[in-house]
Order: sequence, then structure tokens, then C-alpha cells
Amino acid sequence: MSGRRAGAISLRILQQFRHDRRTLMLLFGAPIILLGLFYFLTGGGSSLPAVDVVNLDRGPLGAALATDLAQSTEISISRTTEARAASDLSADTVAAYVILPADLSTRARSGVIAPTVHLEGTQPALTQPVLLALDQSVTRASRNLAAAEGVRVPVLEPSLDYLHGGPGLDTLDYFGGAFIGLVVFLLVFVVTIIAFLRERSQGTLERLMASPLRRADIVVGYIGGFMVVAAVQAVEVVVFTLYALHVHNQGNVALIVLLTLLMTLVAVNLGIFLSMFATTEFQAVQFIPLAIVPQVLLSGIVFPVATEPGWLQVVSRLLPLTYGVDGLRDVMLKGNGLTSGPLLLDIAVVVAFAVALIAAATATLRRSAS
Amino acid sequence: MSAQPVAVSVDSLVKAFGSIRALDGVSLTVRNGEIYGLLGPNGAGKTTLIRSLVGLITADAGTVTVLGHRLPDRGVLAEVGYMPQSPALYADLTVEENVRFFAAVHDLERHAAAQSTADALELVDLSSRRRSVVATLSGGMRQRVSLACALVHRPRLLLLDEPTVGVDPQLRAELWQRFTRMSGEGTTIIVSSHVMDEAERCGRLGLVRFGRMLAEGTSAELRRLAGVERLEDAFLVLSESTR
Repeated sequence: MSGRRAGAISLRILQQFRHDRRTLMLLFGAPIILLGLFYFLTGGGSSLPAVDVVNLDRGPLGAALATDLAQSTEISISRTTEARAASDLSADTVAAYVILPADLSTRARSGVIAPTVHLEGTQPALTQPVLLALDQSVTRASRNLAAAEGVRVPVLEPSLDYLHGGPGLDTLDYFGGAFIGLVVFLLVFVVTIIAFLRERSQGTLERLMASPLRRADIVVGYIGGFMVVAAVQAVEVVVFTLYALHVHNQGNVALIVLLTLLMTLVAVNLGIFLSMFATTEFQAVQFIPLAIVPQVLLSGIVFPVATEPGWLQVVSRLLPLTYGVDGLRDVMLKGNGLTSGPLLLDIAVVVAFAVALIAAATATLRRSAS
Repeated sequence: MSAQPVAVSVDSLVKAFGSIRALDGVSLTVRNGEIYGLLGPNGAGKTTLIRSLVGLITADAGTVTVLGHRLPDRGVLAEVGYMPQSPALYADLTVEENVRFFAAVHDLERHAAAQSTADALELVDLSSRRRSVVATLSGGMRQRVSLACALVHRPRLLLLDEPTVGVDPQLRAELWQRFTRMSGEGTTIIVSSHVMDEAERCGRLGLVRFGRMLAEGTSAELRRLAGVERLEDAFLVLSESTR
């Protein structure tokens, strides 16, 4: 080994970094952005899951419990009526509602606290804080009451009711649908951005621009070619997920395939569009941490959008993957069909993203050719 | 073949990239069936001029008329063949797949495309390698595939940007025989080069420098104008005198 020769390589690498500002920005900027996102997603300044509390208790415990829940650091409650709470839950504006029954205080004296907890059920990350908050508040509120009345501290035995899903579902069932969307989106995006970048760097794009082809011909041609492969991939992924992994599915398989295909349509055009901003395959690969990882974190796959800080929820709502994941969950966990408003909205938004990106991809071809 | 006398006409074309004026008022007229050579040192504007003839460059000022159509006009590009400086091919496709693809994007229907592809490969002497993947070919072979892609749709105007760079003398001579034959059949060819023995084979030459046309004429005319024996010297004298 020669120190001078090895040193020449090290020096050359540093010179290359100096000429590639983009890569430097990525190396020093991306960690701050990604770690910052983690901070906000895992609690720093997050929004709390919304929970409705319906107090029907004729004794004092219900009121004490509701007051204590209002101080909770896990959930954010509103007190309301049973009918209102049920409609909030089905409209997905709350993660759960808790009914404190009429005999709550009476039964507490005989040692058991048995509220009914109605959970939305499609996102485990929202279920857990509700039960934790309830447990903490019951301990605090009933301890005071028990001390005042000289009885034992009662045991919490909530009866859980799931609007969707339920205790029969495991982690795979919750994440399966979201992962179908993610896997397909990520792979198709990477393959398209590299393929299109090669078209630019090997000079064939210039040749195409010197032919009678129109820009729209090129974009539509790319969509056609990739969608054939993507369709096979979508069917493969869905069949594997449902029939080999036995991920729970409540809805129509054709809808899952449709949503998956729409996600690939978005991914193909995002790839063509972003390839405009990369000059080498190296730079294209850098779009994965920049364009994909934040989407994975913000699309609600792991961290529910509802618990993000308000401004971050706005960002999440601007990302196509958020709607794809939501749509897939609507179908697979809730069994929603084309009559469901929220699912139609998800589909419409994904289609709108696809159309906007097709237009953007076509427009970037114009700039590159002059 | 059309009876128009003029295949290409460029009038006072200007194109700047930032502070560099690649084309600075260049004008040019090329007649039908002519082989026109663009001569000039590196960076003279030859490539920019050729690219502007296929609409790849949007000029800042001036006009380009190709086969009777004022650019921009995508439709006329079906009758133009363009061979870029470096062989722009799909390295992961076979020779035949590449040529057929360019036949198809130039609006040839399937049957005609198959026939024209066979003809074009015959012309560049690559029929025996038609099933080879381009990545496995030598540089000279790729250059020939690239030429086949440019002429597969039998264009009336063929634009060749330094088509023989990196090509050995024997193959270069063969390619020029083909260009001459095509020109005899009515194809107009505009070719850029800085190889002087190629320039001798052109009907007329244009000497480009600093984005302007310094002198134009046959090889003999240019040599007489400069008062020298060899074209290479004429090139140097004329470049110097107009600096």
C-alpha cells in the first residue's frame, strides 16, 4: 500500500464532492430534515388523538374521570352525546369514543370500572394512547374517590368495541395495505427515473426530439410501456399479499389493484418529472431520500396523519402517497367500495396527482430540448 | 423527389448560451441533392447550427427553412435524418431493434419499417450483426448503427454531425462512397467535419467560425480565394484573415 496513491484517491473524492454541491447538500441537509421529521412525528409538538367522552354516570366518578381525561397528555377529549360521538367515529374525526355508563360509580364501589371504548380500529397507533390515557385517569380519579369513601381501588375492565378491524387483526393486517402502495410506488419511481435519465444521458432523448414525435407521444409512450409491467407487478403484489401472506382484506380485490395501478401512474410521471433535475444516475438515486423517505414518514403508514402537528398535516395532505395509503386502508380494513365518499375522494385525489404530474412531465421535456 | 431547388435555407441565425454567442448571424443555402460540408474548429458553432436545423435549438433571431417548411415544424422532421456526434443508441437493445425503433418513430408502418431496417443495415454493412446487442459492439460499429438509425426512413435531408470521428480510414472511405451514392439519388446531405480529406468530397463547403460564415464555395474556390495549394492551409489562412 502506498500512502501517496491512496491519498490521491481521497483527495480526488473530496474534489468531486466540491464540484457536486447537490450531493453535499444532501449529505448535510437530509439528516437534519429527516431527524427533524422524526422528532415531530414521535411526539415533539404532535397533535393528540381526538377522543369523544360521553358521561352517563349518575354517580360522581364519571365526572371526575372526564375531568382527569381532559388533562391527559396522551389524548385530547371533547365531551358530547352518544349519538354525536358515534357519528364522529364513523366520519373518522375522532380515534375513539368512551362511554362512561350510568352505573359506573355504583360498580366501582364493588371493585370494577367497566366503561365501553368504541375504537375506529384501523390504526393501532391511535388505539394504544386511548387505552393508556383511560388507565392513567382511572387510577388517579378512582384513587381519590376510593380514599374518600374508604373502599378498595377498583379494577379497570373496559369493554372494547371496534368499528373496523378488531383484536383479530395483527400488525401485518394493519400495515399490509399501506405497504402494497409503498412498495409499488417506490419501485416504479426508481425504475422510471433511472430509465428516463438514461434516455437523456445517452443522447437518445435528443434524437427523439429531432424526430416527428411530440412531447406528449413520449410521455404517453413511457406510461404505456411502464403500465404494462406495473399491471403485472400490481397483480403479483396483491395476490402475494392476500393469498400467500393472508393479509386481512375486507373489500374488493379489483379496487386494490386499481388503487395500486393509480399509484404506479403517479410514480412513472414523478420519475419522468424529477429526472429533469438530475444529470447523473447518482443524483437520481439521491431523490429517494429526498422525495420518497419523507413521503413514507408523512403518508400515515406508520405515524397516523391525525397525530402530526397541524402544519405537518398540511404537508401530508400535499403528498400523493398519503391518499394512496388511505384508499388502500379504506378498502382492505373498512371494506369500503365505490359508494364510499372518502374512498372516492382518495381515488380522485390520486388521479388528480397523476394528471398534474403528466402535465409537469410533458412540460419538463420542453425545457430540456431548447 | 421534389423539384424545389433549395433544401435548406438559414438566414441570419443568432443563438446565445449565456454570454457565449454560439451562432452570430450565420446564413446558409443548401441546394437539393447537394453534399454540403461545414468546416470549422471545435466550438465554431457547427453542432449548434446542425441542431438548429432539426428544431433542437430555438434561435434568438433569424429563420430556418427546411424542405420548404419554416421551423419550428415537427411535421417536416419525418423527412429529415439526424445523426448526432456521439452514437445515441439504446445500448441494451439489439442493432435491429434500435433501427426499427427509429423507423417507427419516423412514422413508418410496421411492414415498411421491417423492409427499411433491412435495407439500412445492408447499407452500413451490419446485416450479419443485426441480432447483436449494441453494448457489445465496437465504437466504429456503433457509429454505423447510428447512421442506419438516421437514414432508415429514407430522409430527403440527412444531417451528419462529425459522422466519421473515431472511424478507421477504410470504413470512412466506405461511408463516403455511400453518402456520394445517396446524394446521386437525390438526398441532400449536410455534414460537419474537421477532417480535410472528407471536405474534398463535399460539393460545397462552408467555413464556420465564431458562429459566422467566413467563406463559402467549392474546395477549389476556397483554395483560390486564400491563394494556397492545400485546403488545410486555405482553412487556416481564411480563419486568420477574418479574425
